[in-house]
Amino acid sequence: MKRKTPGFYLRIYAKILAQDLKSKMSYRADFIISTIGMICTNIAGFISFWILFRNFPSVAGWNYYEMLFLYGFSLVSLTPVQCFFDNNWSLRSYVYSGDFIKYCFRPINLFFYYQSEVFDIKGLGQFAFGIGTIAYAWSKLGLGFTPLMLLKLMIFLFSASLIMIALQNAAAATCFWIQNSFYVLDLVTRFKDYAKYPVTIFSPVFRFLFTFVMPIAFIAYYPSIVILRPQEVPLLSWLSPVIALVFFFCSYKFWMYGATRYSGTGS
Amino acid sequence: MANIIEIKNITKEFKVLNRREGLMGSIKDLFSGNYTTVRAVDNISMNIEQGEIVGYLGPNGAGKSTTIKMMTGILEPTSGEILVNGSIPYRNRTRNAGEIGVVFGQRSQLWWALPLVESFKLLKEIYEVSDADYEEMLALYRSLVDMDALLHKPVRQMSLGQRTLSDILAAFLHNPKIVFLDEPTIGLDVSMKAKIRTLIQALNKKKNTTVILTTHDMGDVDALCQRIVIIDKGKMLYDNDIEHLKGFFGSYRTLKIRTDGDMAQIAEEIRHALPWASVAADDHWISVLVDEEKATVMEVLAKLQQAYTIRDMQLEEISTEEVIKKIYEEGVQ
Repeated sequence: MKRKTPGFYLRIYAKILAQDLKSKMSYRADFIISTIGMICTNIAGFISFWILFRNFPSVAGWNYYEMLFLYGFSLVSLTPVQCFFDNNWSLRSYVYSGDFIKYCFRPINLFFYYQSEVFDIKGLGQFAFGIGTIAYAWSKLGLGFTPLMLLKLMIFLFSASLIMIALQNAAAATCFWIQNSFYVLDLVTRFKDYAKYPVTIFSPVFRFLFTFVMPIAFIAYYPSIVILRPQEVPLLSWLSPVIALVFFFCSYKFWMYGATRYSGTGS
Repeated sequence: MANIIEIKNITKEFKVLNRREGLMGSIKDLFSGNYTTVRAVDNISMNIEQGEIVGYLGPNGAGKSTTIKMMTGILEPTSGEILVNGSIPYRNRTRNAGEIGVVFGQRSQLWWALPLVESFKLLKEIYEVSDADYEEMLALYRSLVDMDALLHKPVRQMSLGQRTLSDILAAFLHNPKIVFLDEPTIGLDVSMKAKIRTLIQALNKKKNTTVILTTHDMGDVDALCQRIVIIDKGKMLYDNDIEHLKGFFGSYRTLKIRTDGDMAQIAEEIRHALPWASVAADDHWISVLVDEEKATVMEVLAKLQQAYTIRDMQLEEISTEEVIKKIYEEGVQ
């Protein structure tokens, strides 16, 4: 059999996605309630952010609109992981119950097949909200607008998303070895809340931790600097797309290694 | 005919941590290197030809699932060779997956929220089935089962029987060379079981698909399998025709009698009188399993008639179920 092309996977994903959306729409009440819930979460997040800035006009030399930009940036870069990789949250129970084995019998990439099963549409609201926030902050900061800046924004948003996806993959994959990987996944999710602050506000220990151990500083801080303060971009910012690719690749390999090592529970 | 599956002396060992009891035990276990090697499959060999239906039997925990996992490429054997469709399943898991179909009785592999027809369309894409082959398969399905009741129903709304039926249809959809069915009739009612057996048989005949069937329901075996393989504790006990099996233990028949008096006590007495026969009693009948090489049923009956007043009697040929039960309990002498 020939090797499957990316086009093949794209086509399959589009079909699964279309079916999934169709079936989600059929639960209308669920759809509406979860949409409202998602809007409330975003508003609440914004309000707490706003209250913080009523009390502190700037944080570590970052003014309100710069912080707002960072906030919007983190919202957008956290969207793909929520939309496309939400099934990672269920991985633990599939592995624990032995149901994971059903994914192993298809002649397509296991990681792809597993993740393709769930598309979380709620992430789209967050995406729109994040884009709105970025645009608002952008105009208030008077950054100007060139196609090059837009390109940079897109590349850095993409690599930031990839880092978050990689973090979550790696955290979820721990369930192939340990029973209660929920805490690992939960820990990573909690840490991502710190992504919306400039890493300079943390003590050196945490700065190191958030840069090299659990690289959440790459979710918003390092990539945002490229747009916000083009004259003081650290090397790490420019490296972030490469780091993202490497990190994602490693997390994918780790996930797949766990999955192939997995043998299912007896039946 | 060519062998579709060739298994030569495969063994699979697992390392199992010796767990201690209690909380302190669990904490000690964290740092323990105290493993035992458990041999789940022990030196099994068999060849399976294209188009066969093989019943793969064994008591719970015998190593059936482990063997199947090795054949499907999920597990790598510790030693030995295994060839499925000419290639090593573990090395080529994805490629192997395109040529096989798998059904687990209790675990649906279909998309939970989708109507069956949409699942079929996705599978058609995933397995790259041509339009013509797909239509031909659907036409075949229509001739075998009531597809209209299934096609547009989301899988989650189906009854267990419908779901199993759908899973089997989905497993055959890409016309695989081998289909593994793991307890396909578990939990189903009598009529659904019959339907599923007919379906499996028809698909096997029409498409010459090899079927490996694990089951605990001897009705499945009697209805479907020409050949059975029995394993226990990882070792192969039997691999031959089902007809052969019945003669395997000599010629057994079951004599059932109804007597006056306390049946349980009488059963106990018979057990003492005929230590080589296995005797069971319920409220209505005392059953004596007679090995006709030791004594004929008529001799036993005559003996019993002298001692007790027999009100009624029945004679039963041994069923597959009883033979298998005997093998599970006593092994093969």
